[in-house]
Amino acid sequence: MNAPTQISGPKATENIQETQLAIKSESQLESKSENKPSEKPSHDAITSGRYIGQRVRRKEDPRLLTGRGQFVDDISLPGQLQVAFARSPIARGDIVAINMDIALDVPGVHAIYTQQDLACYNVDMISFFLVSPEVEITPLANGRVAYVGEPVALVIADSRAIAEDAASLIEVEYAEQDPVISIRDAHHAPPIHPGTDDNIAAQMGEEDIDEDLEAELQRAPHLITHTVVHQRISQSPMETRGVLVTFDGSEEITLYITCQSPHMVARWVSIALGLPPAAIRVIAKDVGGGFGLKNHPWKEETAVILAAMKLRRPLKWIEDRYENLIGANQAREQEMALQIGFDHDGTLIASHGNYSCNNGAYPQLAECNIAVHMFVWAAYKMPTYGFLTRGWYTNTVGYAAYRGPWAMETLIRETALDVAARRIGLDPIEIRRRNLVTLQDQPTTSCMEIPLEDVTPAECLEKLLTAFDVAAFRQEQAAAREQERYLGLGLATYIEPTGAAGAITTMTGELAQVRIEPTGKVTATMSTHSQGHGTATTMAQIFADRLGVAYEDVTVFEGDSSRGGFSPGAAGSRQGVIAGGAAIKAAELLADKTKLLASHLLDTTPDNILIDNGMVSVAGQPDKTRSLADIANIAYGEPDRLPEDFEPGLEAQYRYQPPPMTFSSAANACVVEVDSDTGFVKILRWISSEDCGTPINPAIVEGQISGGLAQAIGMVLLEEVGFDERGNPTTATYKDYHLPAISDVPDFEFVHANTPSQSVGGMRGVGEGGAIIGAPALVNAIADALSPFGEVPVELPLTPVKLLSVIEGRDLSRKTAAPANTPAQEGNTSVAEPVTPATAPEPAIAPATATATNTVAAVIDGDWKMILSTPMGPQEISGHFETQGDLLSGYLSSPEGQMDFSGTAEGNNLKFDLKVQKPMKITLKYNLTVDGDKLAGKCKMGIFGSAKVSGERA
Amino acid sequence: MKPAPFDYVAPASVEEACATLAEACGGAAVLAGGQTLIPLLNLRMSQPFILVDINNIPELKGITRVDHGIRIGPATRQCDAVDSDILIQDLPVIVEAVRHVGHHQTRNRGTVGGSITLGEPAAELPATAVALGATIEIRSSQGIRQVSADEFYLGPYMNVLEHDELVTGITFPGWPQGHLTIFRELAQRPGDFALVGLVGALAIEAGKITHAGLAWFGMGPTPMKARQAEQLLIGQSLQDIDPEIIAESAVADTAPFDDQHTSAEYRRTVGTRLFARALLEAIDAQEAV
Repeated sequence: MNAPTQISGPKATENIQETQLAIKSESQLESKSENKPSEKPSHDAITSGRYIGQRVRRKEDPRLLTGRGQFVDDISLPGQLQVAFARSPIARGDIVAINMDIALDVPGVHAIYTQQDLACYNVDMISFFLVSPEVEITPLANGRVAYVGEPVALVIADSRAIAEDAASLIEVEYAEQDPVISIRDAHHAPPIHPGTDDNIAAQMGEEDIDEDLEAELQRAPHLITHTVVHQRISQSPMETRGVLVTFDGSEEITLYITCQSPHMVARWVSIALGLPPAAIRVIAKDVGGGFGLKNHPWKEETAVILAAMKLRRPLKWIEDRYENLIGANQAREQEMALQIGFDHDGTLIASHGNYSCNNGAYPQLAECNIAVHMFVWAAYKMPTYGFLTRGWYTNTVGYAAYRGPWAMETLIRETALDVAARRIGLDPIEIRRRNLVTLQDQPTTSCMEIPLEDVTPAECLEKLLTAFDVAAFRQEQAAAREQERYLGLGLATYIEPTGAAGAITTMTGELAQVRIEPTGKVTATMSTHSQGHGTATTMAQIFADRLGVAYEDVTVFEGDSSRGGFSPGAAGSRQGVIAGGAAIKAAELLADKTKLLASHLLDTTPDNILIDNGMVSVAGQPDKTRSLADIANIAYGEPDRLPEDFEPGLEAQYRYQPPPMTFSSAANACVVEVDSDTGFVKILRWISSEDCGTPINPAIVEGQISGGLAQAIGMVLLEEVGFDERGNPTTATYKDYHLPAISDVPDFEFVHANTPSQSVGGMRGVGEGGAIIGAPALVNAIADALSPFGEVPVELPLTPVKLLSVIEGRDLSRKTAAPANTPAQEGNTSVAEPVTPATAPEPAIAPATATATNTVAAVIDGDWKMILSTPMGPQEISGHFETQGDLLSGYLSSPEGQMDFSGTAEGNNLKFDLKVQKPMKITLKYNLTVDGDKLAGKCKMGIFGSAKVSGERA
Repeated sequence: MKPAPFDYVAPASVEEACATLAEACGGAAVLAGGQTLIPLLNLRMSQPFILVDINNIPELKGITRVDHGIRIGPATRQCDAVDSDILIQDLPVIVEAVRHVGHHQTRNRGTVGGSITLGEPAAELPATAVALGATIEIRSSQGIRQVSADEFYLGPYMNVLEHDELVTGITFPGWPQGHLTIFRELAQRPGDFALVGLVGALAIEAGKITHAGLAWFGMGPTPMKARQAEQLLIGQSLQDIDPEIIAESAVADTAPFDDQHTSAEYRRTVGTRLFARALLEAIDAQEAV
């Protein structure tokens, strides 16, 4: 089977033709160029392949698809204990007392730690850029809490269930303060963090618009002000956060952690905890998605590491989905206003942007706001741009990265251009053609001093338009409108700096280490890391391609900080670009070394040596063909046969430093139909035209784009993290936080408009583009569909109720009581009459005046609208109170029904109990204080803890 | 997301199950398909001290024709209801409704009785039971009683069951062959609870509607029976009715609510349209016959 194969002559030519054919058909997923792992590798077939550019099957898939992936929770260590957290039920307040006596008595509990117990360790909760935070951040709450879900105590027990049992028995007394939840509130509220002057977490730009810029804007014949409100997003990786930490000796830590780079985690932990880096090994073989959440550890993971250090037992914490949706850092929640001045013909004159981001209480990336404005207009001929950008502290869970950090500027620019096109009376394609930087315009420098040499959004757009007949669509759209069907076309273009390296401390190059083993097989060690990226596949393709070996004969190791060198892993669409370049360079070094040895052994010059399909041959001398294994055996085992000064073995490594930025470009077209009866959006077609340079594996490229577009669809139509006014999360399960499902995502079409970049190998990053360009393409399509009804405010998500409000020209989303209904009174009177605020009976007595002689009654009596902030979200309740002296009576009604109560009224303090059956039998103990037309207080709900109550006179 | 400790029993008979429920004095939860209960246990929103698993009780499973109707055992899996020849032939609207309950995977485990007993206001099956005039058989150690679905629901997740009672059967009255079925649901994603939905049937004899059963889901704290619309329809011929007027009267019998997914006003507005659309389609379908 391993008989030497001669690779020359007509056969090779045939094979090359076959390869070209295969590449031509690459847009078909079922292309015949796919290798089939089920078949025994056929050397002839494999020899034909140059692997870069092929849709080879992913090396990761057999283990992932058969349930043999190795995620954190798949690892168990002898003696390990489990961790659960007791978390803050309030958004803001001081911790008055923590009583853990009962919890500590639960059998199976080993320890419970608060921040006081961990205070012996100095921890610096640095950012991804290794910057210390402006405000004190501790792993567990230090005397005060600043968001609902903040970890207050860490319970260690034999099992997670026992740990949760004990966590629920920890009694924490809080002195609650009014929280600051929204960006708007953060502007004016006193600072949420002691020792700060205001709630600004980070700021860049000027608060007042520059005079010259203002003048330019004012002279513009068309001045557009466009605003976008982007909701808060949960990154929602399929694998939630998790860590298993063990100490193998003094300061020797092994961390199994779900992350985006084991090297980055090791570096972060070393600096944050002040530990020698050599003592930390981080392993993350398989990761179920990161999306920016897992760049580095945060409060919970750090607390678990410290607790393991203190207890000296292996500890495991696996975040459950409820914790992930309330306690894991979140993303976006941004508001931006963009002013754009246009000339009569739609040419850009000037622009100003004002951006705000809700950074939460303890942002992982307070400073990331700086990124926003750099690329707003980078690909457009915009003469001048000014900006103000601010991140705001609030009493919500902190800000973290999310796939596509350039999303907001792309969304607001591309949607603003469509608004402007409608206003000026231009075609959306035309307004882009007039302003986009084309290849002919380059090299050039953007108004924000970004050097551009090879960006291709204009070219991507033109290629897109060859795949989509706009004129035919406009006819179809017009015909459909005649029948009151509303179709829309959304176009968007973008550029994105990918593979950034050299400007920021953690954004480095990549190291590739590769060797031809004595067996002739190839092993590579990379600092790439896949959370679904398939880097073990793409890197193997490069090595196989450049070394002349079969793809099946290359194994890539990654996911372990003890191997290879530093890289930040998956962050900013960088691995294909930089690690790809490193792999190419390392493979070339190794190929050169192999050829040098082979030429020595085969008595020729290195130039005459060919390596293909694992065989080494001399051009024109087929009898001299040897296997790579033969050569490698000599390289490792027979030093006497090596050339002089030849380092034994066949090993090479290269750290590739790419250009500072490598730009990716794209244009997308999306076609939707909006149902004017319901406001529902149906996506009919979606075409992506992208320039990702050299595609190493087109199937992986398309997978990356598709995944990003799916997330963009979620952002535009479905997803939204919500809080009530007390900061309680209203989306604590996937029943309420709606991710896009397969039914929401169309089959995407791809136009590969690739041009090689200037980095080694010509790759451009493609990990995030779909998530960036998808949102404006879809928003523009919806806005185009609904243009007969007016502009669609870009307040994401564009839910059916918001779109129906545009269609009907009235606000259907307002939370008002229903008009009086007249449910049928005939028939069976035992039918449950809905008891809602809308249908609650009128109070028998008028509020406030009925017992005017009693001052207490005058304050309390009457009808109240209240909000009970339960762990599962806010509940609206109507209350009716009547006082007689110190006695209180009345009823509460909610969608669950109406219940009478009696209690006490002392001054303006009301106390009463209600017994309920669902979700279980508990007594609700209300303790409310009335202040004028407002009331506030607590409801103790048995094992569910306390819930805030707020209300006002109805 | 680990449940608080609980005991577990899997009785082999209704008597045993009822005895356990009585003994538990309200501390028990009945486990059928577990598609709601298990997440609630894991979130610790429900903390019973004993689970009574009714899956080992043969008489609680199966779909059979009975006098003047169809009886469905409460522990019948939703996937079995979807495939039931009896339902497909006699009451296809039930099949249509069950197809909209959750997802393929959850229907393999979830039960018809579980959904009907739980009474999620935006769920399909409670409204179907109310619309079609189903009777719910309830047993305890004290005896047996029959409650019409109409009277079964008191509010969201609240019903007339006492803590020692178990739902042991759901009987749907027979509808004449050739009755019209109505099913409409608007949900953000397939498998989600409805933003608004309606379900029902119309019996027609000699061109006139003789019996109408219509109910909403997602339009109030319980399934909402469209009584006024039912009254308006009876005695009419399909050709003569004005779907818009019927729809208006049907929405008058609802009490829609605001939540984070949509507003009461949206539910009311779109519900009216869905109802009219559904009636029009039913009329078209009838004329096509």
